[in-house]
Amino acid sequence: MHLPTREQAGVLIVSVSGRIDHTASEEFTQALEPLLVCCAREHPPLLLDFSGVDYISSAGLRVLMMASRRAKVQQGVFAIAALQPMVQEVFAISRFNLIVPCHATVDAACKALGA
Amino acid sequence: MKRLAGMLLVVIRAGRGRALPLLLLALAAGLFARIEESPLLTVREAQFDHYQRWQPRSRDNEPVIIVGIDSQSLVEHGQWPWPRDLIARLVDRIQAGKPLAVGVDIVFAEPDRYSPEVLGEHFPGLTSETLAALPDPDGELAQALERAPSVLAVVGLSRDLPGARQPSRPLPVYDLNADRDRRLPHFVTALASRPQLARASAGEGLINGSPKLGTADTQRGVLRRMPTLAFIDELPFLSLPLAMVRQALGEGGTVRLEDGPHGLQAIGIGDYRLPVQPNGELLLHYGRASSHYYLSAADVLAGVHPPDLFAARFVLIGFNSTGLQDRVVTPLGESLPGVDIHAQVIESLLAGEALQRPYWATWMELGVLLASGLLLIGFLPILRARYAVGGFVALAAMIVAGGHLAFLAGRYLFDAASLILLLSPSFISLLGNTLVTADARRRRAERQLQQSREETARMNGELDAAKRIQTGLLPDTTQLFAGDERFALGSLLEPARAVGGDYYDCFMLDASRLCLAIGDVSGKGLPASLFMAISKTLTGTLARRHRQPGEALQDIEIELNRDNRECLFVTAFVGILDVDTGQLEYACAGHDAPVIRRNGQFLRIDTSTVGGPPLCAADHFPFASASMQLQAGDLLCLFTDGVTEATNGREMFGLTRLLSALDAPESTELHAAARLLRDAVRTFEAGHPPSDDLTLLLLRWNGPSER
Repeated sequence: MHLPTREQAGVLIVSVSGRIDHTASEEFTQALEPLLVCCAREHPPLLLDFSGVDYISSAGLRVLMMASRRAKVQQGVFAIAALQPMVQEVFAISRFNLIVPCHATVDAACKALGA
Repeated sequence: MKRLAGMLLVVIRAGRGRALPLLLLALAAGLFARIEESPLLTVREAQFDHYQRWQPRSRDNEPVIIVGIDSQSLVEHGQWPWPRDLIARLVDRIQAGKPLAVGVDIVFAEPDRYSPEVLGEHFPGLTSETLAALPDPDGELAQALERAPSVLAVVGLSRDLPGARQPSRPLPVYDLNADRDRRLPHFVTALASRPQLARASAGEGLINGSPKLGTADTQRGVLRRMPTLAFIDELPFLSLPLAMVRQALGEGGTVRLEDGPHGLQAIGIGDYRLPVQPNGELLLHYGRASSHYYLSAADVLAGVHPPDLFAARFVLIGFNSTGLQDRVVTPLGESLPGVDIHAQVIESLLAGEALQRPYWATWMELGVLLASGLLLIGFLPILRARYAVGGFVALAAMIVAGGHLAFLAGRYLFDAASLILLLSPSFISLLGNTLVTADARRRRAERQLQQSREETARMNGELDAAKRIQTGLLPDTTQLFAGDERFALGSLLEPARAVGGDYYDCFMLDASRLCLAIGDVSGKGLPASLFMAISKTLTGTLARRHRQPGEALQDIEIELNRDNRECLFVTAFVGILDVDTGQLEYACAGHDAPVIRRNGQFLRIDTSTVGGPPLCAADHFPFASASMQLQAGDLLCLFTDGVTEATNGREMFGLTRLLSALDAPESTELHAAARLLRDAVRTFEAGHPPSDDLTLLLLRWNGPSER
């Protein structure tokens, strides 16, 4: 899984796309790994741009949960932005917005995280 | 036997299969260097003979005439030996035609039986006057020989036999060279004609077929090489045909010896030159024999042929009768009178043509052997068996073709057959290694395949057992509350794989309170199933200890979190229904809100305010409980995302399709309803693999009951 990154307002933005189902979650974990190493104190916040994700399964949610936990341990900032309605619904049902900070748009997230 | 085979295998495979071929190649090179003493010599000679049969020397003109003492001559002139005066007449007849030289392939060692001295011994009564008046046949022959450019035959002997005599006409001029001369044949003495005849002749020539009389230097009785120059009692003599050519050339017939680094290389007479071996032997290139140049001695004596026939030709007088045994077998497979060989030598000298086997030929062959061998050893092990065989065949073909080409181009004798024969052991060893390696690889692959099959079978067996155990963990709702009038239950769980991470539970907490639970561990398959077993057990145990489902969830999360290094989480919904009153208390941990069908309408249990994240996703989430009132006939449907997220590759099953599938008649038995719903999902998937485990737990509440 290819994860293009860019930086905006001091935030490292990672564009995620496609279906993050049971099979893809393994790849997603590996692709996220090098980025998570840098998600620590004194490092720029890590924001996943989810605008390209049209499905996420429970295995995918677990990847996010573990990423979030790791960031917390490393005292880094980890967040998600721009969820599609379908994914938004999954987050709503599973209350994952309580686990991983979710932002409506990338800009809004940058504003919130950059502050 | 098996140990022996094992040892052989180790030897073949040593050094990546190259050690043994290298050793064999070294042995082959050693054997090749000593080929003269090995049975391989037979192969070599056969190969060289084959070249000659393939390309025999062409005999276009016939510079030699053979006057043969044949059966007809014996019939007409009586038994052999003929009186010498008859032979003298024969020589005179020939000389009349002015030939270039007359060679006599006969040794006149003893006096003629009609010579006066022999007759005197036989008949003591004869007076000396009578004897003196008798003709002297030896004298007549001597006179005839003197008139012609004649050359008599000499047979070199390696030991002194009775009647042996030193010939008297050696080469008058000879350039001594110790290094060359020691390689030439040396005879102690010879069988030569009477001095009277020898002195009368113009010269004497050797007719030995081999350097040592009486030893079979000719392989299998085939005459391939003959001396051109030899020493008899330290005096040099040419062979008969060469001596004849020298005679014919007269003054110009000087003999030149060309010395190479390893002895004699060629012998020249006048302008003619013949390549020879270091020991002076000629490797004669034979031509096909014919009877064209044979004349019968009887015919010549009778004057049948005009004398001009002999003009400017070499004439050989010899035996050509089966009764007089002087025949040789040639490499062409022909049996010829010995005198024919002399004729062929003369032709060869005049054409300057002989087979060539220079001193460096062996070194070149050895070089080809080693280069080819190393090439095979280098490349064969990296080729597949069939290409290896093809490669060797191509190499062998190239060597054979090279041998033929060398013969065609310069009459060089190149020993291709021995090289191929000597390369074979190395090749066989290499091929053996290739085959053994291929076989080992195939066996290993087969073993691995077998192992993986067994592994799969065992895995499948274990998975089957796990599936039975997992299914056994779930309550059988068809039996459990079969007799209860207050409510009806239906359930179904189908893992996406053999085992899964979904579970459901239903049990009575007391006489009226029914606990319903459904859960979905993140992920699917075997890893999820282990966590499912724990979650299901904890749910069952802890829900019984708490009055509130929210409290139960908090407690379950604490227990699950104790040992959860893999960070798995579970979505769960727990409801406690008072089946007498229809009061439902519930709590939700990140699970899909259950659906209720009420009077044909659908509504969802409101989890928005009390719902929390999945168990173990957050630490110690304060799960709260909520409650609602069911109405008589309400159908409660608890499901997992295996239903709503089932996909046909384009879209997901979704809630809408779930609701329409739930819209079955009121009376439907709930297990059947669950199966119908499952069928709807599978139909929708249209062959696509299930996205996740599918679980349904249906409950119909029949309304309040009096107790």
